Amino acid sequence: MSFHASSVGATRYVGERTPRKEDGRLLTGRGQFTDDVQLPGMMHVAYVRSPVARGRIVSIGLDVAREMPGVQAIYTQADLAAIPVQMMSFFFTPIESPVTLLADGRVACVGDPVCMVIAESRAQAEDAAALVELEIEEETALVTIADARTGPLVHPDRDDNVAAEMGDADMLEEVIQPLLDKAPHVVTHTIRHQRIAQSPMECRACVASPEGSGEMTVWVGCQSPHLAARYVALVLGLPQESIRVIAKDVGGGFGLKNIPWREEVAVVVAARLFGRPLKWIEDRYEALTASSHAREQEVTLTIGLDEEGRLLAAWSDYACNNGAWPMGEDANIAVHMFMWPAHKLPAYGFVTRGWYTNTMGLGGYRGPWAMESLIRETTLDKAARKLGIDPVELRRRNLLYLPEQPVTSSMGIEVTDITPGECLEKLVAHVDIAAFRKEQAEARKEGRYLGMGIATYIEPTGSAGAMQPMTGETVHLRIEPTGKVVAMLSTHSQGHGTATTMAQVIADRLGVAYEDIAVFEGDSAIGAFGPGAAGSRQGVIAGGATWRATELLAEKVKAVAAHLSNASVEAVTIAEGMVHVEGAPEMSRSLKELAEIAYGDPARLPEGMASGLEAQFRYQPPPMTMTSAAHCCVVEVDAETGFVKILRWISAEDCGTVINPGVVEGQIAGGLAQAIGQVLLEEMPYDARGNPLAATFKDYLMPTMFDVPDFEYLHANTPSQTIGGMRGVGEGGCIIGPPTLVNAIADALAPFGEIEELTLPLTPARILDVIEQRDVSGRQAQPEKVAAAPVAAPLAPVPEVAEPAPAAPTGSVDGDWDMTLKAPMGGQTFLAHFDTDGAALSGYLSAPEGRQEFSGGMIDNGRMKFEVKVDKPMKITLKYDIQLDGDTITGKCRMGMFGTAKVTAVRPS
Amino acid sequence: MKPAPFDYVRPASIAEACAILSEAGGGATVIAGGQTLMPLLNLRMSQPFILVDINGIAELKGVSRAGGATRIGPATRQAEALRDATLARQLPALVTALGHVGHYQTRNRGTVGGSIALGEPAAEMPATAVALGAEIEIASVRGRRSVKAEEFYLGPYMTVLEPDELVTGITYPDWPEGHVVLFREVAQRPGDFALVGMVGALALEGGSIARAGIAWFGMGPVPVRARQAEAALLGTGLGDIDADAVAALAVADTAPFDDHHASAEYRRTVGKRIFARTLREALDIRSVA
Repeated sequence: MSFHASSVGATRYVGERTPRKEDGRLLTGRGQFTDDVQLPGMMHVAYVRSPVARGRIVSIGLDVAREMPGVQAIYTQADLAAIPVQMMSFFFTPIESPVTLLADGRVACVGDPVCMVIAESRAQAEDAAALVELEIEEETALVTIADARTGPLVHPDRDDNVAAEMGDADMLEEVIQPLLDKAPHVVTHTIRHQRIAQSPMECRACVASPEGSGEMTVWVGCQSPHLAARYVALVLGLPQESIRVIAKDVGGGFGLKNIPWREEVAVVVAARLFGRPLKWIEDRYEALTASSHAREQEVTLTIGLDEEGRLLAAWSDYACNNGAWPMGEDANIAVHMFMWPAHKLPAYGFVTRGWYTNTMGLGGYRGPWAMESLIRETTLDKAARKLGIDPVELRRRNLLYLPEQPVTSSMGIEVTDITPGECLEKLVAHVDIAAFRKEQAEARKEGRYLGMGIATYIEPTGSAGAMQPMTGETVHLRIEPTGKVVAMLSTHSQGHGTATTMAQVIADRLGVAYEDIAVFEGDSAIGAFGPGAAGSRQGVIAGGATWRATELLAEKVKAVAAHLSNASVEAVTIAEGMVHVEGAPEMSRSLKELAEIAYGDPARLPEGMASGLEAQFRYQPPPMTMTSAAHCCVVEVDAETGFVKILRWISAEDCGTVINPGVVEGQIAGGLAQAIGQVLLEEMPYDARGNPLAATFKDYLMPTMFDVPDFEYLHANTPSQTIGGMRGVGEGGCIIGPPTLVNAIADALAPFGEIEELTLPLTPARILDVIEQRDVSGRQAQPEKVAAAPVAAPLAPVPEVAEPAPAAPTGSVDGDWDMTLKAPMGGQTFLAHFDTDGAALSGYLSAPEGRQEFSGGMIDNGRMKFEVKVDKPMKITLKYDIQLDGDTITGKCRMGMFGTAKVTAVRPS
Repeated sequence: MKPAPFDYVRPASIAEACAILSEAGGGATVIAGGQTLMPLLNLRMSQPFILVDINGIAELKGVSRAGGATRIGPATRQAEALRDATLARQLPALVTALGHVGHYQTRNRGTVGGSIALGEPAAEMPATAVALGAEIEIASVRGRRSVKAEEFYLGPYMTVLEPDELVTGITYPDWPEGHVVLFREVAQRPGDFALVGMVGALALEGGSIARAGIAWFGMGPVPVRARQAEAALLGTGLGDIDADAVAALAVADTAPFDDHHASAEYRRTVGKRIFARTLREALDIRSVA
């Protein structure tokens, strides 16, 4: 590995369990969180929220509340509308069902913010908020996905309750079903994943301070100050420089804090209107019931296998409950993109939909696509039991090992260096499975039910350059005249310890003491744009940027030293903050001495060299860097009570170069704790009227230290192709954890039967359902019960291209059209130009990003078929199949792994 | 999440506290450890005009012996009660149950009387008081009265306590030395309120059950005394006890409910099992000893 070979110091820092720079202040209560910000003249905000899930606001009575002590103002949407705001998704695309900061005439979920009370203290703001008289004409709420399929419209301006949809329903009949029909074994599995309340330790928080003429400093609990500043500036239509975002310490993000959402942006807008600093600190009740929720999915996967257990084809039908105001409408295409690239699966198809309901909107949550691993790994185990094949052996027959790569998946994902199989082998070598099976058999004779679960996964990390706002990272680095090192980064830690890991890289690559490095981050005025902690990327990209910037700085130091000592650059080494010249110990100087010359006596530098000791590097890594892992978990299920005890958990992960094993293991452990919560404990249920039922931590059961075992870690690391060789590790535990634990429980329950449909969380009552093969949990009584079909017929299919009626008058398609493609990350609009020559069709698609010519298309009675190859965001071929009908064109476009999107076009106005 | 405005008083005697409660006419709430009340205040689910802090009333604290019974002052911290030598000797069932009340940290602040007076149906202390036959002493400006624990609870968080009344003591009758402790609960996480739990005591004489007091928690709107099971056990020789049959009788007295953590059917099913398992284990230990 490259980091061993070094011309710099002998002291290694990369790979060490270096104590974290952040821990001193965090452990002694000296962290600087948003609520620690106190400004002169600052007022406090409390929101009045809708107690009704769906309805029309008849009146908002503010007279009594306005008279309360300390109240300065009460704003409704009518007031905030003075400053126009266009909210955007995490992908910086417009929210399709335009969400206002406060409710605009209607409420669409319990917790919808309706008024904003500004008072001298938070207590006074709450006193007044309690006296706002809301009259809402309540309408029947849509709570479940089943409600959304059949009920009235959540958003009256929409055609239906489908928030987003992708996939190709035709592919089932045309491609997949024939393969399944021929398969010797077909296994179907259904999972209902509960709704999760993200529950970071620190709830959301925002302080907005208007300054000067239109500038503003915003302290906000976020995952990247740069991204938050860019987001706020864009949604308000301001220059980004006018917004400075500071977030020194943040207690957990998980995706909830990817972008500032309604309440935070409302604070910014209100501060501009009110002209004084405003603070909003979300309380735990709001956090549980009114912060963007996560998950709530229903998915059915069917796989066909041959006699030996080799995969032949797979089809899945996925639905997720987006709630009323998601942070971007989402059909979770990533579930399908990443379900199978690590497997030898010839054919995969899917339909995937997100549905609006009158529940709190969904946001991203650590491994937002994690369902791909949960449904795949649990279905594979079900197949292993059905076929009587060992689960490890079944995976061996289907996984792509390193010698078989590179391979491009059926959905167009190219894998070049994934190692789930290698991780599995390392895991299996460490865990004595045969001994466990013997112990398991003995225990069963005593009425004790042990189970072992194994799962593998891959994860796309360090995304850059393929989609907004995922970019590279810039590092500014300098040796101060004092000889100390300062790094300015756009990284952000909500517990990640980026100041620690980046300082380790600098210390390692430069040859200075870790203690002599100061890392500045957490402020949009520091560094350059980077999206911070999102998509397991900081170690990969900022780590690579820091790695290279440090090497550039070391090169400059060596050049200066070589010049001053009249030696060759190759003869210079840096160690422990000292610069040495080989064979001339008397020429050793400290970095401080060199820096004093570089800054204060630049005439002594080589001719043409800039003064100072500084370096800057912006790293653009490969578009995606894959992380792999295999996990094993051992449980005991108490057959009398249905309780699960986790006895052992082993992780074998490949995250490439490990900068700090403690930080890596902390990331895995945190993700696994969330996984345990999701499988066994956590749930945000709603009643039929749309009331969230877990309003405190008495009812929302977070895993505690009693529920989370000590984990064992095997680091099975192969360096990636990035500078430094890191792979992202932020989300993995939360992705591979659930299937590992579910598989262990299913293995323990195998003597009793299968978990026919997995409903999470696996409460003790639901486990007794399996053990006793009867309805202990009362699931039959639940109204949201939906009949599981192996392959559910799509209820709201992608509109079919109408078979051309023979007499249908169709005009000419030649010339320009305004075409809209409903892509998974928002609609794309571009100009389409068609030229026909008999049945031949050619033309181009043109947008600000460029023009794509195409030829070789066909047109027959208005039905047009043509293909366009694109390179971004991935190399895919877009296959258009559209129909002209008078002045409009409708149809669809197959977009490889992105599934199928609706296409519409009209003549330019 | 800030409480609505309230006045705060810290009386020094029971009489003073009762006078304040009387004057407040229902607008006052007593605070001792605050482990339930503080969250309720912050959620504004409780909005008293006056908070009456009884932590300054010395006579409400401590454990004492009186006339064949043990008395616990209601403001005694749960952690102190757990360490108390008299309780360890006289009321081992209570001490066992106390170890399951909340968490280590909350027991440092939470009081025995607070848990008794709150009336959470899935909590350990009310069921223990019912099982052991405790009496709740109550004072007000109108006088003093004593209520059997079994008659103290009316429904979830509802007791016979009038707004002007204060719990001044909990008196547990003595159980014979060497009596058998029954305790088991099923909770999703340590420290949670139980999905289902049972607590009790059995006194033996000449190889048969001479006295039995057993109650459920989490099995109905109030702590539920297992009367039929007690009756079946009384006078029965140890060798003749059919633990499963007794457990079935015990469940017959309950009225559990569905919530999103567990169904009533789960509570009945598992309740019966833990009852039988606890009874069997307790009596096995006894017969070996």
